[in-house]
Amino acid sequence: MLSIRDLRLSFKENEILKGINIDVNKGDVVTLIGPSGTGKTTLLRCINYLEKPTTGSITLGDLNLNYEKITKKEILTLRRKTAMVFQQYNLFKNKTVIENVMEPQMIVQKKSKIEAYENSVEQLDKVGLIDKLESYPSQLSGGQQQRVSIARALALKPEVVLFDEPTSALDPELVGEVLKVIEAVAKSGMTIVLVTHEMSFAQKISTKIVFMDKGNIVEEGPPKAIFEDSTNPRTKEFLNHFYMNKLHVV
Amino acid sequence: MNIGYMIEVFPKLLATLPITLLIIIVSAILGLLLSIGVTYLRLKNLKILGPFLEMYVSFMRSTPILIQLFLVFYGLPVLMRSLGFNMDFGAITSCIVALIVYNGAYLSEILRPAYLAVEKGQHEAADSLGYTPFEKFRKVILPQLTPIALPGLGNAVVYLVHDTSLIFTIGVVDIMGQAKLILANNYGENKIEMYLTIALLYWLVCLVSDRTIKLLEHFTYLKKIERKSKFNKSKVNKEPVSIQ
Repeated sequence: MLSIRDLRLSFKENEILKGINIDVNKGDVVTLIGPSGTGKTTLLRCINYLEKPTTGSITLGDLNLNYEKITKKEILTLRRKTAMVFQQYNLFKNKTVIENVMEPQMIVQKKSKIEAYENSVEQLDKVGLIDKLESYPSQLSGGQQQRVSIARALALKPEVVLFDEPTSALDPELVGEVLKVIEAVAKSGMTIVLVTHEMSFAQKISTKIVFMDKGNIVEEGPPKAIFEDSTNPRTKEFLNHFYMNKLHVV
Repeated sequence: MNIGYMIEVFPKLLATLPITLLIIIVSAILGLLLSIGVTYLRLKNLKILGPFLEMYVSFMRSTPILIQLFLVFYGLPVLMRSLGFNMDFGAITSCIVALIVYNGAYLSEILRPAYLAVEKGQHEAADSLGYTPFEKFRKVILPQLTPIALPGLGNAVVYLVHDTSLIFTIGVVDIMGQAKLILANNYGENKIEMYLTIALLYWLVCLVSDRTIKLLEHFTYLKKIERKSKFNKSKVNKEPVSIQ
């Protein structure tokens, strides 16, 4: 349903993404893992054109785009088929929780106020924030803000939801509540592309893991194939570091 | 001190207030509109126009308003004549033109940082949801930019009020011009009383404009959050909301 072909992105001389090919089927949960600075987030942001790739093409449903010749209208269409959950939540600070979820539906999808309200309440109920409708983002904890932002993304009924390190800015006590919500979203059959450092969570919910290093995809496959049976030395090295650190902390 | 004299001249000075107010209101509104255009173009980082706009802003902000007044008053008719328009400009028109051109630059240096103070994440959120650039500006950026810009704009209005005390130098009979005339007829008697009355009058004008701005601030989202928090007595994260 979503496929990216030969995506390249350079900042001046520096090539960040070196020809990425990815396929995501409907209902897939694809998780991008890898060391910091390898372009996982950049790749995710290319999908809805928050970053401008140098070359490459993307297919999303019936939309077929070449990044080099993309028009403003195509960018809007692409963004309206996707939704993004940011590391820093990025809720509209001047709007209450309910307004944050309602407004995009009214502006982007031209829904009526009543329709938008009902849908928003439903979504906010799912993420457990039905009692916070009139709060402003600054009055909520990080975990609550992130759950609002998930509700805002889902309320638009996108074809794919992009999660950009959704728990990295949260303190450890709040990570659980957000992961629980993401897991529920995954189980509901939503197509997801996720960037995370929560390895055990990735292993649990993903249908496909993509391991990236230095702007390339090193290896991809089902969670078991990557986490347990990988023979690729770079993948093993990365995962060993990860598990060792974890032991160290515990 | 002659209080009776102050009470006597007060209505005479007040009678010229409409001229001052007209100049303030027209140049504030048109100056703001000009500065919005200037800010918009400056933020686009245009290759050819950009440096010219920076020069314009730098020049207007760095030269005394008195000099600018003279330049416009004496220069504008010459400029128009060289362009083939044969028209006369009154002193009031010259004042208004000078103050608009000045405020276009000055206010732009209030609006530009206010725009830049809105976090990048807010832009990205709106973009990722599929807002058009105009929808993003109207619904997300403008409401957040306003409370940041308002205190600066309020100060600018106060400065504008003060700047109008210079327009008598090119012959406008405003408060200061009227005072000059009365004093001249009076052989320069009661100077202190006269200037004190003028000071009080300017104070009054600024007080009104100040209250208006405070009222506007009250309706922006930052104050809304504050009011709500007091009402709820809930714990508020003292996060970057306290921009002022």
